Amino acid sequence: MSTNKIEIKHLTVNYTENKRSFNALHDVSFGVKDGEFVSVIGASGCGKSTLLSVLEGIYQAAGGTVEIDGKELHGTGTERGVVFQHYSLFPWMTTRNNIAFGIKQAQHGLKRSERLRIADEYLGKVGLTGFGSKYPSQLSGGMQQRAAIARALAMNTEILLMDEPFSAIDAKNRVILQELLLSLWEGDGKEPRKTVVFVTHDIDEAILLSDRIVVLTAHPGTVNEIVEVPFARPRNRAELVKTDAYGQFRNKLLSLLYCDVAERIGGEEVVI
Amino acid sequence: MTWQKRWLRLTHVFFVILLLVQLLPDRSAKETAQGALIIFAIAVEVLTLLASAFIKRQESLALLLDIVGFIYVLLTVWSLATAKFNILNDVLFPAPGRVLAQFAEDREKILVNIASSLGITIEGFLLAAVVAVPLGLFLGWNARLGGAATYISKFFSSIPPIVYIPYGIALLPTFRSVSVFVIFLATFWPVFAGTMSGVLNVDRRIVDSAKVLNVSKPEMLFSVILPASLAQIFLGCNQGLSVSFILLTSAEMIGARDGMGYYVKYYSDFGDYTRTITGLLVIGIVVIAVTFLFNKLQQYLLRWKR
Repeated sequence: MSTNKIEIKHLTVNYTENKRSFNALHDVSFGVKDGEFVSVIGASGCGKSTLLSVLEGIYQAAGGTVEIDGKELHGTGTERGVVFQHYSLFPWMTTRNNIAFGIKQAQHGLKRSERLRIADEYLGKVGLTGFGSKYPSQLSGGMQQRAAIARALAMNTEILLMDEPFSAIDAKNRVILQELLLSLWEGDGKEPRKTVVFVTHDIDEAILLSDRIVVLTAHPGTVNEIVEVPFARPRNRAELVKTDAYGQFRNKLLSLLYCDVAERIGGEEVVI
Repeated sequence: MTWQKRWLRLTHVFFVILLLVQLLPDRSAKETAQGALIIFAIAVEVLTLLASAFIKRQESLALLLDIVGFIYVLLTVWSLATAKFNILNDVLFPAPGRVLAQFAEDREKILVNIASSLGITIEGFLLAAVVAVPLGLFLGWNARLGGAATYISKFFSSIPPIVYIPYGIALLPTFRSVSVFVIFLATFWPVFAGTMSGVLNVDRRIVDSAKVLNVSKPEMLFSVILPASLAQIFLGCNQGLSVSFILLTSAEMIGARDGMGYYVKYYSDFGDYTRTITGLLVIGIVVIAVTFLFNKLQQYLLRWKR
């Protein structure tokens, strides 16, 4: 198991809200291989974002460990790039300066002109050429997320953590961004792929993007099942969704997601 | 904008009325300096017409014309009530032309006094900002100290800074240093409180976003928390600035040898109400100008806000 890039062992996280502590994650264990794209899905409140916060290093686990390259994780680190749903970018910096600021944190000692050059290069990669001098508030939600992805990629980290990055984007742009992310992650095959942990509640998004999908169930958050996505890459969304195999796989995930809901409600009719 | 909207405005009618009123004979026995008023009115009108030719936005033009129109009406009523019909006591109420002439005559004295007042304000204000902002950032960011600091700053900011003046006079050697000290106190607490509340209200998600970038502690404070709480800091600065003017002019009336408050107090002691009114108007203009420039700075530094 030591070949895994990220190793999560018996992770337990308690959450305190209004002075009441509850168990957000209970005994969660799984590994992510180097260069693997793993999605974490689950109904809201299952602790999937909490899990990512622990991986980011901004939330403390009550028990268990997270190891990266065999070393136990303590706090934040520059080997991990993060894209949030909101406010990945600082609103007071232009898009270019946001990316350059990220590069500065990841690679100390680069000249400012060099940082700006890399920033422009990555703005081009996400299709934002010419938007470098705009502030985030002047960009649409989709463009902000493009810039956030550009920053995470420009920091050239081995691991990419994404916390529902496309959840606030309209359906049409979400599809475009998913395909952009996929093509950037797959790259040209020359460079090693990044290890990605991607949190979402969108099943189709998870299937399109991932090698494996971790399904969490809520109260407390535990791993229900880890599913291998059986579709070869490169994947074509339009072709893929038409196949029977896709429909069956999707249904399987749906039942894994909602089986516990039905159990808890206790046999009453559930409309999903 | 159509040419009618640009040129056919009521303001210009008010200008003509103001000039026509000047054709009436003076009833006041005192000097009315009507020439100064006419020159001033024509100068304002020429500038307004020039501006009308260049201003692009209809709202900006309307705003300018409304303000200029107000000035014309005010001058008309003022000169009717003083020079033309002598309704008011002409010792207490000088004709508008006399105030304008006084303004021109005293311009050097006035500039010296403005420079003195502004110098003290800027010095006290900058000192306060330079100390209060970093301290507020640091204490606001350190949650444990922050709670106590909030209450302590509430206590000190509730003391009206003007009551420090007698103690300041006992403590410090010169009037100028007392003034700087009082303005420092008047500005320090609102800026400090504004910074603290700004820091405490920074969106958690922005802080997280900075944390995952692994920023150093100074960078967290000055590259992230400072800009994120800048709007609240400016709120405190604005408050400090307006209190500073009140305090400074009050202080200057008590014991200064120069400054705008001194100018007003000195000449009203001699019963020179022309200069008193001139001084009042100058203070108004200076405060408006400083506030305007400060707001421009604020807009520039917060241009990234929607």
